[in-house]
Amino acid sequence: MIEYLLLAFGEVVMIFGALGIIRFPDVYTRLHAATKCDTGGAMTILLALALYIDASVFIKLKLLVLTFLIALINPMISHAIAKGAYKYGIKPEVVVDMYAWDNP
Amino acid sequence: MSRIPFYLKERLEEVQKRVLYESYEAQKLPVWERITLTWIVLFSFWIVITANTSLDNLIIGGIATLIIASFMRDMLMEDVRHKGHLIEKIIYFLLLYAPQYLIIMAFRLIESNIKVAKNVIFMDIKPGIMKIRTDLHSDTGVTILANSITLTPGTLTLDVSKKLGETYLYVHWIYVETLNREKAGEKIKGDIEEWLKKIFW
Repeated sequence: MIEYLLLAFGEVVMIFGALGIIRFPDVYTRLHAATKCDTGGAMTILLALALYIDASVFIKLKLLVLTFLIALINPMISHAIAKGAYKYGIKPEVVVDMYAWDNP
Repeated sequence: MSRIPFYLKERLEEVQKRVLYESYEAQKLPVWERITLTWIVLFSFWIVITANTSLDNLIIGGIATLIIASFMRDMLMEDVRHKGHLIEKIIYFLLLYAPQYLIIMAFRLIESNIKVAKNVIFMDIKPGIMKIRTDLHSDTGVTILANSITLTPGTLTLDVSKKLGETYLYVHWIYVETLNREKAGEKIKGDIEEWLKKIFW
């Protein structure tokens, strides 16, 4: 029963992430939607698969290794994209920008 | 100690901690402990990936991972805090620290997903880039802290800078609540930093 709940939660979160990429104003806020919703959605869908699948323990452990790798790699990629966009010269629409104070 | 004025006391405690760090605890773990910890990680990964528990496979995997661990002993275990016996460390990590971290991060991740959905619907954003200070110094600790900050609700790490022996993080915050750096640091980091300080420098 709980795997259907996890699957539905993952799908809804992925839909809201895709909506956020369209609706937010600039690169950095769009990265918020992409990173968090993709990580949470993919991890919950893989957990639901690991609970649902009818196979030996090692297959389930392999799916758990996949969730660990996604949680490790996804934030790093978003950090690299954000820093690259800042170095390229895209100005964020912000209230306070302490990064520009220290790197004029 | 009681004659020292109170405004010097904090600074003195900081200096004492620093001396302790540089004289005793900053040394790396002993060589055999580093090799054993790396070997345990690599061997469990071998068992999960090959999915085969026959005796030949276990012997081949044990020998191969032991050779790799003796070469690569500095890559994983360089920044682990020098405290306690080896078995004590493993038991504390498996029974106490890892479940604590998993439970904290699971609830934070669900909360952040719901918060992004709320932001998408109502569009109530007020973004800003803050600079916060951390007490961690090692590379592994700062990396794990930055990744955890990215997954907690409403924040995204931009860059790290090290100046004068202190580490600063630049964080893009989707709804700026305070402009005070220390209050913002407490709100952003939460209890993850306390957890990481038990294991890494």
